[in-house]
Amino acid sequence: MITLTELKLAARLARRELRGGIRGFRIFLLCLALGVGAIAAVQSVAGGIQRSLTQDGRAILGGDASVRVLYREATAAQRQWLEGQGTVAVTADMRAMARKAADQPGAEADLGAAGLVELKAVDGRYPLYGRLTLTDGGSDVQARLAARGGVFGALVDDTLAARLSLKPGDRLTVGDATVEVRGIIDHEPDKAGSGSIALGPRLMISADALPATGLVRPGSLVNWSYQLRLPEGTDAAAWAKGVDKTFPDAGWRVRDFQNAAPQLTRFIDRLAQFLTLVGLTALLVGGVGVGNAVRSHMDASVHSIATLKCLGAPARLIFQVYLMQILALAGLGIAGGLVLGAVLPLAAGRALAGLLPITAEIGVYPGRLALAALFGLTTALVFSLWPLGQAQGVPAARLFREGSAGRRGRPPTWVLMALAWLAAVLGSLAVLTSVDQKLAAFFVIGAGATLLLFLGAGTGITRLARLLPRPRQPALRLALSNLHRPGNLSGMVVLSLGLGLTVLVAVALIEGNFRREVGESLPANAPSFFFVDIQPDQLDQFRQTVLAVPGAHDLETTPSLRGTIVRVEGKPAQEQVHDPDKKWVVNGDRGVTYQASAPAGDKVMAGAWWPADYSGPPKLAISKDIAQAFGIGPGAHMTLSVLGREIEAEVAVVRDLDFTTLGINFTLVMSPGVLEHAPQTHLATVRAPAGAEAALQRAVIQAFPNITAIRVKEALATVSTIIVNIGMAVRVVAAVTLVAGTLVLAGAIAAGHRRRVYDAVVLKVLGAVRATVLRTFLIEYGALGLITAVISGALGTLTAWAVLTKVMSMKWVFLPQTLVLTALLSTAITLALGLAATWRALSQPAAPLLREE
Amino acid sequence: MSPVQSALDLTGLTLTLESAAGRVNILKGIDLAIQAGERISIVGPSGSGKSSLMMVIGGLERPTGGTVTVAGRTLNTLSEDDLARFRRDHVGVVFQSFHLMAAMTALENVALPLELAGEADAFDRARDGLAAVGLSHRLDHYPGQLSGGEQQRVALARAFAPRPRLILADEPTGNLDQETGEQIIRLMFDQARRHGTTLILVTHDPGLAARCDRTIRLADGRVVEDTAVTRAAPGERKGAD
Repeated sequence: MITLTELKLAARLARRELRGGIRGFRIFLLCLALGVGAIAAVQSVAGGIQRSLTQDGRAILGGDASVRVLYREATAAQRQWLEGQGTVAVTADMRAMARKAADQPGAEADLGAAGLVELKAVDGRYPLYGRLTLTDGGSDVQARLAARGGVFGALVDDTLAARLSLKPGDRLTVGDATVEVRGIIDHEPDKAGSGSIALGPRLMISADALPATGLVRPGSLVNWSYQLRLPEGTDAAAWAKGVDKTFPDAGWRVRDFQNAAPQLTRFIDRLAQFLTLVGLTALLVGGVGVGNAVRSHMDASVHSIATLKCLGAPARLIFQVYLMQILALAGLGIAGGLVLGAVLPLAAGRALAGLLPITAEIGVYPGRLALAALFGLTTALVFSLWPLGQAQGVPAARLFREGSAGRRGRPPTWVLMALAWLAAVLGSLAVLTSVDQKLAAFFVIGAGATLLLFLGAGTGITRLARLLPRPRQPALRLALSNLHRPGNLSGMVVLSLGLGLTVLVAVALIEGNFRREVGESLPANAPSFFFVDIQPDQLDQFRQTVLAVPGAHDLETTPSLRGTIVRVEGKPAQEQVHDPDKKWVVNGDRGVTYQASAPAGDKVMAGAWWPADYSGPPKLAISKDIAQAFGIGPGAHMTLSVLGREIEAEVAVVRDLDFTTLGINFTLVMSPGVLEHAPQTHLATVRAPAGAEAALQRAVIQAFPNITAIRVKEALATVSTIIVNIGMAVRVVAAVTLVAGTLVLAGAIAAGHRRRVYDAVVLKVLGAVRATVLRTFLIEYGALGLITAVISGALGTLTAWAVLTKVMSMKWVFLPQTLVLTALLSTAITLALGLAATWRALSQPAAPLLREE
Repeated sequence: MSPVQSALDLTGLTLTLESAAGRVNILKGIDLAIQAGERISIVGPSGSGKSSLMMVIGGLERPTGGTVTVAGRTLNTLSEDDLARFRRDHVGVVFQSFHLMAAMTALENVALPLELAGEADAFDRARDGLAAVGLSHRLDHYPGQLSGGEQQRVALARAFAPRPRLILADEPTGNLDQETGEQIIRLMFDQARRHGTTLILVTHDPGLAARCDRTIRLADGRVVEDTAVTRAAPGERKGAD
């Protein structure tokens, strides 16, 4: 039983021992501060975003609750019901082409670069919550959008204004309508609630102006959103659930303000988790430094410990004294990290403002900081306990006999058990605080295994160096023996740099593959344009217009309809989803098309396509995802609701769709003879040389104002920018790992400085010139850096390969230049640190040292 | 031999240590009885086992064979922590290299064993102890701010502070000049006499050995000579004490 008196005595002794200062703990403090700081910063930013999402939930959603209907308006009966529930604001979102009105200066030149916009038409009640603000300070949305002199107003965001050189008063054409710019949007409250990636800038008009655009036609890709202000006291979440039950087959997406932007929430959660895990790697690398510092401290305290024992202090008291010191220092390091983690997001806040659709509420989030602190504390203890446990076994006889303490024993069993328990706590903490616990568990196992592997590699290098034949060349021979002599740095270099480099290699390879896919592979295979909302009666003329543009080729058009899967094998589809990860197949509409025969290069997984002249009962070709979601195959029966009409069809074929071609892919394809007369639009893809793209766009926009042209390169550039930004965030955190590793290594090299000075002096006494001494150390550090790079490169490549192919189901391409860069970086760091230490050693005068020895 | 109780009994004591070169027999069967209040010098060439014998007596090293009984307690069966408590209550050690806690003041160093024993008046007694060795003016100085002689006086005060029954001194003057060493020896003998403490000291100095009541000579891990010291003149004895 530990008494308070005992603890007080331990605290008193601990405090006295620390009077010598914390010089030896600089690396300890820095490592902890860096690791905790990285996690705290990530958590603070995520906390800020989540608080915004929670606090501004109503503004982000646009109401207490919202009902979204994709591609069609609510029916009159549904609308009436909604009006009965509360105040309803209706908005329509779609992609469209906007260009300067023909009578505006520069209009003709702008045609080729006419902008794809995210068009939003709002009714007179918009916004129900929050404020839309304009750069001129105004927020009178309705007044600005209203018709003046027969021309409706429009609000644009600054990107569109810059792209089309627009200023208030200029006129724009969207579809068949001309609108006048009446303001530049500064903040749009419900922007984050839309849930989809914005491929173009915002253009906002009044709902009253929408019919004149001619863009809303049967089958047009429009999202209708009904935002509701519910009566005071209504439980929005319960209401949202109730709606699903009232209209189970309406294909509505109902959300309440507490879950205003689920996709953004999920994205932020996952990104924060990923960055936290990378931050944890930095902390683990720092842990090695923590362990080193504690070991050095305990070595330096051997005499104090032996003296204390000699004076009658029991081992338990010794353990308490030094544990208290470590806890106090860890507290200091963690506090530094928390300050760093709370302050950094303030600086990062501005950079983030342009990247996120919402403003992060940067502030101090005690719960999230506590999590970072807990990570720091457990890591510090995990890495300190071993040397602490060893130290309490220092024999008092050490005071009489040198070398008694040299035999470092295993810590007592209870210390080992405490160590195992703390390691389990650390791992559990990482897993339990993650959204994707399976991924986190893999990370914990992987990080643990990697640490052990690098430990083993260090031992392996030492043993191998011992076994190798002695080279005749003195510098080489000395370098080789430096790798395995007692107190060598081999294990430390590999361990401290290895983990950080592995993370960097993995991150660089994953990001490199993403960028390659989006920046090179996809564009190489992809068509130049997607055209959407082509009306059936425009199809022939559209074909002629497109193909008349020199260079345009490979024009493909496909009918496009929307349908909901309502029943599978006669039972409600919602209840038939076997795989919870594929619940999305029954949430809302899916694209449906029809065609007579299999597209070229189609990959059939099961069943067979219908004959080209098939005219029997309806058959379906479904995608692999849909088949897996319901656990069905050819022969199964599925009922689709297309524009309210239910069609039962037999599944004929299951297909593996390749979305990486960016061609037209439909997850549901119906046999001919069923949907031909249903209201529909057509999609088209076309290829054109880069030089002809502007001409092609101009030709289509001039002839068909309602057709939206999506330039694939621009869309991919948008996606690419997102990937680059995410990659940047990951790399910054991963770099912290490398900085921590470098610090650890610098600390270890500094600890071996005396030995190095001694070696250098003896070599100089024996007649070695500086260049020889330098060469020796360069060979030693160069070899260690290269070996570390090779192991890290292999492990990082394995990790990247597993993540890309197993977790993300992507194609894997080996990128050797990334590995070469890593090898260079690793060798450069070790050489630089080693060289700095050696240079200092070489500058020491020999005489004082020799006299002392 | 006088009929007073033994302060120390060693029977068939052996010590074997592992070293890189193999097992080394350090002590090879030592039998020894020391009476309370005796002043013993242990002499012998380097490597004869003097310091090892001290360590075994102080419970700092476990014997490989035989029994060690100090102040009526057999040390062989005590646990590591029991041995630490035993030292705290019964043994004071003075080292050649002083071994003061560098981060503690002179006062704190002397108070330390008393604090470990849970004595409420640790600092008052430490102050008295430092006064007894003439260091009242150095209470708040750190070891690094003291001369070698002053450090050894602090070490003496620390060793005597808990009033131990046994003081072990390993070459206590080995790191000091002759004059300072003489002061330390005088202080040590004086303190031992005042408190009736048994004093065992390891030394290479024949003059110092001659001031003790008894000299035990070790060679190759065995006692080769155990003689009572006969003093030539009373003045010398007086000078020593």
